[in-house]
Amino acid sequence: MRKKRTLCVLGFFFIFSVMSLFGVDTNTSSPKINMTPELKKEFPIKAHHEKLSLSCTDCHEGQGDDPKDLKLIGDKGCLSCHKTKQFLADRLKFMDALHTNPHNSIHDGPKLYCDECHNEHKPSENMCLSCHSNDVKIWMRPTP
Amino acid sequence: MIKKIFLIIKNNILLMGLVGILIGLLSSWILYEGLHRTSDDRFCIVCHEMKPMVAAYHNDVHGGNGKVGIKVSCVTCHLPHDNVIAYIATKARNGVVEGAIHFFGNPDAINWQANRANRQHFVRDEACYGCHTNYKTNEAISVKGREMHEHYASLKGTDKEISCASCHVEIGHKGLRSMLNYYKPEYEYYKGKLDTKKDEAEKKLAEEMK
Repeated sequence: MRKKRTLCVLGFFFIFSVMSLFGVDTNTSSPKINMTPELKKEFPIKAHHEKLSLSCTDCHEGQGDDPKDLKLIGDKGCLSCHKTKQFLADRLKFMDALHTNPHNSIHDGPKLYCDECHNEHKPSENMCLSCHSNDVKIWMRPTP
Repeated sequence: MIKKIFLIIKNNILLMGLVGILIGLLSSWILYEGLHRTSDDRFCIVCHEMKPMVAAYHNDVHGGNGKVGIKVSCVTCHLPHDNVIAYIATKARNGVVEGAIHFFGNPDAINWQANRANRQHFVRDEACYGCHTNYKTNEAISVKGREMHEHYASLKGTDKEISCASCHVEIGHKGLRSMLNYYKPEYEYYKGKLDTKKDEAEKKLAEEMK
């Protein structure tokens, strides 16, 4: 009887240690994704991010190590480096004088979602173009 | 007799030493004062074509627009500090080149907007972490910021090395792109339409430079 209890306790102890080990493993390790040329072609990143040698996990934190499973990072992800929408709007203040600041537009202010215009792994789309198709290029450069 | 001559020599050596020390001190003082007085925006702007840069610098915490009013001089960020000879040589060369452009060249032809892309070349990292010594551990910096600073440090010395200004694009000159546009619009569309902004900036700058 006593032996059985000891065995049970030991068993629980063993199971919990293994579980905690796995738990620790998934929480702290930041998986390194090996960027092959094929993956690079499939998930191209913007030149300005490439120049900083950013890796997938710098943006896709805690999302595992399979590039195909990585999810959108949303505004919170973008702004973890790019500060705030107001900060970005202020950087283009000269455009405010003619109401052409895309980060502080006359319609939406500094409130748009980042990915309404900027895409990371495919060409960006400038939302202004959907109405101002003829004149956008005379007051701003292509969307990064 | 021999004793007397020895004494005079001894005295002379002492005298020579004293004179030497005096000359040494005097020349280092002149050098120090010379370097110090030719290091701030007031002096640099005389020859360097940089009104918009100085105007934007005055908007930045580095230019005295912070809560505590600390101001770093132009040379702090823009000259090498790892070696005093390189520092003086770069300062002298820049002075001559910029002076020549100002007086004999064509300053209007400088493409300021294009030069913004070369910011890494104009800013010295050792100056940044000379003051921001705990940039990797300071908890006032966001978690992401500290992670990125680790990333910066890990690339140091490799062929992928980046610099502080790679990410901190308008550092030291808040609103630089806008200020450059007030002076020299990057698009035809804005030409002549931002002149009031330029006048405002000029007026503010003139007051600050008084």
